[in-house]
Amino acid sequence: MLNPGINDSYSRRRFLKQSTFGVLALSASRFFPVFDSGVNLPPQIVGQLRFFSPKEYLIVEAMADRMIGKLNDGAPSASQVDVPLRADKFLSGADPEIQEQFHQLLTVFNAPAFTFLFDFRLSSFINMKPEDQDTYLEDWMTSIIGFRRTGFQALKRVSLSMFYTESRSWKEIGFEGFDAPR
Amino acid sequence: MIIESKDISKPVRESADVCIIGSGCGGGASAKILAEAGKKVIVIEEGGYFKTDEFESTEEFAFSNLYRQRAGQATDNLAVTVLQGKCVGGSSTVNWTTSLRTPDFVLEQWAKEFGVKGMRTKDLDPYFMRIEKYLNVHVEPDENHNLQNRIILDGAKKLGYRAKATGRNTRDCAKIGACGFGCPIGAKMSVNVTYIPDAVKAGATIFSEFRADKIEVTGSQKKVLGAIVDRLTQKQVSDFVIEAPIVVVSASSIFSPVLLLKSKLANSSGQVGKHLTFHLTSALLGTFDRSMYPSSGIPQSALCDEFLNKNGDGGGFWMEAVPATPTLAALAIPGFGGEHRKLMQKYPSIGATIVLVKEIDSEGTVTVNDYGRPSISYDLGSRDLDYLKQGLKATAEVQFAAGAKEVLTLHARMTSFKSLDDIEKKLARADWGPNEIALYSAHPLGTCRMGEDARNSVVDSHCQTHDVKGLFVIDGSVTPTSLGVNPQITLLAISEKSAEWIVENFNRIVG
Ligand SMILES: Cc1cc2nc3c(=O)[nH]c(=O)nc-3n(C[C@H](O)[C@H](O)[C@H](O)COP(=O)(O)OP(=O)(O)OC[C@H]3O[C@@H](n4cnc5c(N)ncnc54)[C@H](O)[C@@H]3O)c2cc1C
Ligand code: SF4
Repeated sequence: MLNPGINDSYSRRRFLKQSTFGVLALSASRFFPVFDSGVNLPPQIVGQLRFFSPKEYLIVEAMADRMIGKLNDGAPSASQVDVPLRADKFLSGADPEIQEQFHQLLTVFNAPAFTFLFDFRLSSFINMKPEDQDTYLEDWMTSIIGFRRTGFQALKRVSLSMFYTESRSWKEIGFEGFDAPR
Repeated sequence: MIIESKDISKPVRESADVCIIGSGCGGGASAKILAEAGKKVIVIEEGGYFKTDEFESTEEFAFSNLYRQRAGQATDNLAVTVLQGKCVGGSSTVNWTTSLRTPDFVLEQWAKEFGVKGMRTKDLDPYFMRIEKYLNVHVEPDENHNLQNRIILDGAKKLGYRAKATGRNTRDCAKIGACGFGCPIGAKMSVNVTYIPDAVKAGATIFSEFRADKIEVTGSQKKVLGAIVDRLTQKQVSDFVIEAPIVVVSASSIFSPVLLLKSKLANSSGQVGKHLTFHLTSALLGTFDRSMYPSSGIPQSALCDEFLNKNGDGGGFWMEAVPATPTLAALAIPGFGGEHRKLMQKYPSIGATIVLVKEIDSEGTVTVNDYGRPSISYDLGSRDLDYLKQGLKATAEVQFAAGAKEVLTLHARMTSFKSLDDIEKKLARADWGPNEIALYSAHPLGTCRMGEDARNSVVDSHCQTHDVKGLFVIDGSVTPTSLGVNPQITLLAISEKSAEWIVENFNRIVG
């Protein structure tokens, strides 16, 4: 006997598209493309981007900084460890279905139309105050809507995995790498 | 000979007696047996080939080069992370060395419920013995267990639970702790340093960065068609066709069904891709008031098996240690932002123990998505969920008995205990839906299950598909049920036995 409470929600659908809500939100995201107008990103960064648009880069930068957190103790932030650029490199080689849905996720995550729909906020994620960004992320993490929890997981995985695989993040956590005799 | 995509400048057209797709436990063991019996063997492997001194012992190197999807492969809704290797040697190259025989009650169930022949304990024992000798399986002396494994040994002992050292397939292990990143000194007796070199010595050819996309069958002849891919860009640089009368699909429980479904083969039963089991895993993170060195020393050398099949229903759970390397720990630790980071700063004092559930009423499915890749789903059953809860509770007891000051589950909403008193209450209140607790599998199995009834199984007891003579599936796909133990020794035994059967019956199969 399968657990009726869980059976449905663990069932087979695409990454992010596992609920009617998710399908609708992702379909609607096509009508709210991420416009790059007014985005000011240094040319040396724009020149390196293979996957993100400049605006998407800024969304990931803002999101990763909140996701990783900052403790005012001199330890590096997500951007200082190049999390957005490393994520760009990783996603440029990811499976096409992951690429497609990551673009859609960033739109849904940031666009004011969706922040209003989800949380009655009128601001895009990148324009929120840091405390509001944290509350917004928390809402995604614990949402009763499976699609948002999955979206949160995707953002958390990319941010943390790009941060903690980088040796610049290790000192703070007392990890010294593996001592491999050769 | 091992040929990599960089060595190739034009399309490859080859023929062989046997073409094997995948070079992990299933493919590697089959290749050795078949090549040593004088058969012309070609192995196709999608991942790259690395010599042991090329393993860099960092998560960055390993995730990018040796794992499927940068160690991020998961069910479609990301609720269960499914770890698999993608390199010569398959998942064995990145596994954690635990080497255990198949439990008796599991093999009995296969015989009774699925009519599986010749796979009872007495039939597999000679294979287990041979494999254990070949891979130098042994238990570590007491002083070799690191502090993470000591949690299990010491905590369980205090509570009177059965716990013991596990078998490990290593020789001259220097206790570096990097087993999950490819052993840099070749001490781990994984398939890439044992079966594959021996298969090559016996004349097998391994093509790495070759991805099989389709199998075609014409009469008794078969063709494996696919793409040759560039290691860095993963883009196709050329193509290949291998012709052989026997094809062995050993692409793992996730990729073998994908290949069969895409090729529209061996699925008259409708069972291909069904009955996926995970050995569903979650963890408890204890904080101790001393350094626990979560990623130092031998990562996995002990287990507590007190609760496996304890009720005689074939289910239950057990506990093992886990190499909590920084990224794996960061992804498991609940929450985000400052709170998460403060927990990461406690990293050196974390003791991580995993709970692995032997499923009895959960199942997953692998289908093919619009891009020709696996789409993985999983339905968690109520009895297994109950065992997971019991497992977390028992593991918390073990952690406290071993000296943990606070214990954290992997629930998205931070759920921690400072004593045993509030465990049950807190677990009862916790959320258990997808992405409300982090779940993992490093042991995905099933999906092309073995049995003697062609209506409800994909392969027979020799791993030959019921539908197509000369088409075999030899890997983790063929297990009819969840194993309840780490699978590599079981899979190697099934592979060696099935490959021997191919050798003995070669003329009859191809005739
Ligand atoms: C991190 C980790 C730790 C583990 N620890 C343990 C442990 O301690 N003890 C234990 O017993 N087990 C452990 N396991 C599990 C064990 O290693 C696997 O169950 C076993 O290796 C599975 O064997 P397989 O042949 O089914 O598949 P794999 O070993 O995964 O091999 C399949 C191979 O096929 C290749 N492939 C897939 N599709 C294609 C295609 N289309 N064309 C060409 N090649 C393809 C893949 O790249 C892969 O190399 C662990 C696994 C992981 C990931
Ligand atoms: S612990 Fe032993 S087997 Fe594992 S990587 Fe280190 S030397 Fe190799």
